[in-house]
Amino acid sequence: MPSNPRGVFSLIIINKAGGLIYQREFQSGLRNLSTNDYLVLAGTFHGVHAITRSITPKIPIAQPAPSTTSTGTAAPAASGYSYPNPGVPVSGLDYLETDKFRLTCFQTLTGTKFLLFTDPLTGGVDAIIQRIYELYADYVMKNPFYQIEMPVRCEAFDRHLGAWLRGRT
Amino acid sequence: MVVYSFYIFDRHAECIYKRRWLPRPTSIVGKSRSNTVTDAPPTGLGQTVRSTDDDSKLVFGTVFSLRNMVRKLGGEEDNFVSFTTSQYKLHYYETPTNTKFVMLTDLKSPSMRIALQQIYINLFVEYVVKNPLSPTEHPGGVGVNNELFEESLEQFVQTRVLS
Repeated sequence: MPSNPRGVFSLIIINKAGGLIYQREFQSGLRNLSTNDYLVLAGTFHGVHAITRSITPKIPIAQPAPSTTSTGTAAPAASGYSYPNPGVPVSGLDYLETDKFRLTCFQTLTGTKFLLFTDPLTGGVDAIIQRIYELYADYVMKNPFYQIEMPVRCEAFDRHLGAWLRGRT
Repeated sequence: MVVYSFYIFDRHAECIYKRRWLPRPTSIVGKSRSNTVTDAPPTGLGQTVRSTDDDSKLVFGTVFSLRNMVRKLGGEEDNFVSFTTSQYKLHYYETPTNTKFVMLTDLKSPSMRIALQQIYINLFVEYVVKNPLSPTEHPGGVGVNNELFEESLEQFVQTRVLS
């Protein structure tokens, strides 16, 4: 359990097309934006996330060694370069740090992105975001009335999310 | 730690300096220092589709969008410091005159904010801004690509990498 559970500012969920499907503020700390601004933010982040993945530095492999034991990554050996962390899948932006907040991005296998804005000193952010994903799976994805890729309006999700985050403080 | 590349952008969003350090491949255990490739796109290294020139544009776009996003959320005085992916870390420093310094390093590197600030104060200001032969604007990198600046940048990064 993180020592300082306070400091979760807000949560944003972006669908795989870059549309904003959920936005909720838990405590003030960031400036309030209009709904339109949040939509723009979600779209911008979606694009930036894709670019950050494509500017990953490529390290050339000197000799065309066929013996490179790259099992997880497909591209490297064939085209003569490898990534800095071979074996780890190339991801886009994971953590963003600024003077005032820390943004953690978690992308699910289906492309949905969870953006959690926290205090820079908040620990255990990965655990928090994992739990949020579980709640999302339980109360949004299993909701028979929820239309996929559409804005999340599930009371049970709101309730459980709020209760769980409050219960941590 | 490893430094992959370094960029300077001026206030007109132009890349006025870029430098890439290609770390030696992990498969080779040699005593050679990290070889530097300054500008020419490496041939046949998988970079044929996108040149380094386009890379700098993508870096600028990323940094510019994130900076604006951070300003919007955190207020005007908030600063975007760095971001991390599963493969690399990007550090950012902006001077009051909107010159942007960007450095890409590996994940193990500590915060390079002070380092970028030092590059600005001790190298950029000293060797580029104070250079009487250097123009005030640097279209296409004119004035920035002088020997003194490049040498000392090289040295600065080397000492950082080795420490």
